[in-house]
Amino acid sequence: MTRVNRTVSATAAGIAVLMTASTAMAASGEAGLPQLKIETWPSQIFWLVVIFGVGYIFMERVVTPRIGTVLEERRTRLDDDLTRAREASSEAAQTRADYEASLDAARNEAAEFARNAAADAAAKADKEGAKAAKKMATKIAAAETKLAAARSEAEGNIVAVAAEAAIDAAQQLAGVKATKAQAEKAVKSAAAQGAG
Amino acid sequence: MASQGMHSPVEQFEIKSIIELSAGGYDISFTNSSLFMLLAMVVGGVFLASAMSKREMVPGRMQGAAEMMYEFVADMVRSNVGNDGRAYFPFVFTLFVFLLFGNMLGLIPYSYTFTSQIIVTFAMAAFVFVGVTLIGLVRHGLHFFSFFVPQGAPKVLIPFLIIIEVISYFVRPVSLSVRLFANMLAGHTMLKVFAGLAVMISGAGGIAMTGSVLPFLALVGLTGLEVLVAALQAYVFTILTCMYLNDALHLH
Repeated sequence: MTRVNRTVSATAAGIAVLMTASTAMAASGEAGLPQLKIETWPSQIFWLVVIFGVGYIFMERVVTPRIGTVLEERRTRLDDDLTRAREASSEAAQTRADYEASLDAARNEAAEFARNAAADAAAKADKEGAKAAKKMATKIAAAETKLAAARSEAEGNIVAVAAEAAIDAAQQLAGVKATKAQAEKAVKSAAAQGAG
Repeated sequence: MASQGMHSPVEQFEIKSIIELSAGGYDISFTNSSLFMLLAMVVGGVFLASAMSKREMVPGRMQGAAEMMYEFVADMVRSNVGNDGRAYFPFVFTLFVFLLFGNMLGLIPYSYTFTSQIIVTFAMAAFVFVGVTLIGLVRHGLHFFSFFVPQGAPKVLIPFLIIIEVISYFVRPVSLSVRLFANMLAGHTMLKVFAGLAVMISGAGGIAMTGSVLPFLALVGLTGLEVLVAALQAYVFTILTCMYLNDALHLH
């Protein structure tokens, strides 16, 4: 419906222009619009057909194929270039990925090597340490045994000396004749009390 | 308004014979109208052909302009007609180039605007109309007439709508030709009226001469407007041709 309205209004406007122009001309005593001189029409139609016809053939045979092929070639070329660029780009990405992968592998290898070396060193150190500790412990134990023996011998000597001293002291001070066993017992208990 | 010494504003549309010719009792003289038809086609064709002569991958200015025109029309055909329209592209392109160069060359002073001739625009519109109708008939056979039956309309209204559709269909060549013709006629008449006015006032002499500046400025503005109208009407004629072609190929 809008199409109808548009068409009708365009036609009406055109006819109005025609009529106004021709009445204006008629009023001023002119012969009217030159466009309405029917005797000029055959010539115009004839030349329109000839010129448009020849022009159409020229455009169809020469101009449009020429422009069309240039545009087509450009499109193909651009597509090709884009494809190639895309390929190169993915290749570069692949190279980069490869490089990074090898770098990672090397890094991992190095890290593992370092870890192994550290573990080995630690194990060795542990072993040496244990050996040394064992040796030391044997030495310490021997020394302690020696020390204990020396101490008990020394303690035994002290008791004997103290018992003799006690026998002497008891004889001279109290005129009591004590046996060695009694004296030793007394010394031991006194030592125990003193220690306590 | 027409005074002594001022030319009639429609005198510019007068057909003047250059080479007298006749065939079969008809006067087919080569006239100023024919000359500018020829010039439009030759200037357009030579411009396009020479601009593309180097076929450069990276176009220069001329080639860029030629390609732009081509793509402009190609896009018009593609979006209005679709892929079926490819076969008619050379015709639509020739039509656009012919009308554009005809309208533009017609704006040059002392030149002739053949698109201001109703018989020329009507002949082109009638050719489009008949051609498009034949294409529709060949492609769809009798089914073509379903074009005149609006879809989804109430049954009672259908007879009236068919009448309206048929009238609107047959008005197409008239509206198509009158639109271009009337735009050119009105525009060029107006230019001539203002130009005549400027000349007339300047002829008054003395201080009154300065008054001619006003119609002259209006003339400058109107010339710019007419350049727009020249391009626009070439476009409108072409795009309507595409739409009619689309209707014939696809029936709504």
